[in-house]
Amino acid sequence: MTKLVRDLMHPGVLTCRPNALLGQVAVLLTQHKVHALIVSDPEGRPLGIISDYDLLAGEWLSIDDESLSTMRHLTAHDLMSYPVDTIDANMSIKEAAHTLIEKDVSRLLVTENGKPVGVISTTDFVASIARDEEPKRETVADVMSDAMLVCRGKTPIISAARTLIQAGWRSVLVVDAKGKHLGVVSGRDLMRFVENGVDESLTVRDVMHQAFIKNHHHRLIVIDEEDPDAFPLGVISSFDIVAEMARPGSIWQS
Amino acid sequence: MTNNSIGMGEQDRTERDKFEGELKRIIKASDESGILLRVIGSLAFQMHCPTYGYLQEAMGRAYTDIDFAAYRKQTKEIKELMAGLGYTENREVFIVSEGERSIFDRSEVGLHVDVFYEKLDFCHAIYWAGRLEVDAPTIPLAELLLEKMQIVQINEKDIIDTIMLLMEHPLGDIDNETINIKRVAELCSTDWGLWRTTTMNLDKVRKLAQGYEQLKPEQKAHIESQVASAMERIDQEPKSLAWRLRSRVGDRVKWYKDVDEVD
Repeated sequence: MTKLVRDLMHPGVLTCRPNALLGQVAVLLTQHKVHALIVSDPEGRPLGIISDYDLLAGEWLSIDDESLSTMRHLTAHDLMSYPVDTIDANMSIKEAAHTLIEKDVSRLLVTENGKPVGVISTTDFVASIARDEEPKRETVADVMSDAMLVCRGKTPIISAARTLIQAGWRSVLVVDAKGKHLGVVSGRDLMRFVENGVDESLTVRDVMHQAFIKNHHHRLIVIDEEDPDAFPLGVISSFDIVAEMARPGSIWQS
Repeated sequence: MTNNSIGMGEQDRTERDKFEGELKRIIKASDESGILLRVIGSLAFQMHCPTYGYLQEAMGRAYTDIDFAAYRKQTKEIKELMAGLGYTENREVFIVSEGERSIFDRSEVGLHVDVFYEKLDFCHAIYWAGRLEVDAPTIPLAELLLEKMQIVQINEKDIIDTIMLLMEHPLGDIDNETINIKRVAELCSTDWGLWRTTTMNLDKVRKLAQGYEQLKPEQKAHIESQVASAMERIDQEPKSLAWRLRSRVGDRVKWYKDVDEVD
């Protein structure tokens, strides 16, 4: 039986007001342990979507007092992506995966009779690849920069997908026998298998990417500059930065 | 456009010959030594625009120095070359710029040479890794265009050089006697700040070209058409995610570095 978007989506929609400041958005993302919020008007109509990646602009562009002041006054409305990409709850997950890849986005707002009823994200699709594994929605474990999920290059991608979902992480670091990092596998790397099925001979080495935020991969591997071939020091993700923005007493909260 | 007179004013033929002759002497010596020195600045535009180079003199564009792009790995050889040609290095510039720039003087004849290693880093950084081998004796035409288009406070001398370049060369996807607008578009597609300044300045060139009485109506129309094509190509290039995010903040945060006047 064809799996539908409604079978995989996360029901319910978390929203914020368009005039919410970036610091307030960071707090909401952290409190709800999610990576994005729908920005909606007072009548509940979706205006756009704001994610942890969008909030990176706050830290990226605050290079002096003047720019920090400007960024602190920006709102969710200023930084949100719009219009919101949507999909009907009765569409197949293959079509949803295709839409996600084609539009180069990480999540879609799910609607039914034109009304928002949920969100479907890359993580949900990884769960579908992992087969019978329910995504853990209560944790965003990979915000912990000094703890990492690690595998060797020869790990089958189904194993990697299953582990990601079981652990509630969004990425796995790929290393060689000596611990040197080779790349990262995240949900985005696995999306194509939702549409076309998994070739079980493929390993993480075949699908991994290099960790660059500019390429829409939301994490960077932190290596020891004096010993770059050693096991990495950690991983920093976009959510790490948002968590710092949400911390009471940070420049975004004072 | 800022009202700055550096690089503008009457310059007699003898003075212009002094710069052009010295440039040839340095290029010959660097070629013989196997050193990659590529001309940038006003003299590069002059060398690469044999048909329309006369506009510099006609519009009152003067030479003030000789500028080169080079690779850092040849710093030592360049210093030895310039010393052999009778130049004295201003070592303070090299130290303060952390090895990104050298200035050499021949004060007795009123000449100084500026060498930029790896990149031109003023309002925006333009890197030349792998690009100095593409053209000779100047940097490629795409980088020549960007050298001017990255200046936020653009001057009349920069507008004149750009007009000459756009008059002389077609736009295309290659470098050979062509302004590689594909490369310009690619660089602008990953750096919103560079895109902002480049498109702003292309529009200034388009508008200001219409006011020069030294240009014929058909030449003004050609500039208009070249700028429109360049803008269209830059606009069509798919933009990176970082570019799109930065564009949402727009001019509310400064998108360039402040710099002193550069020739």
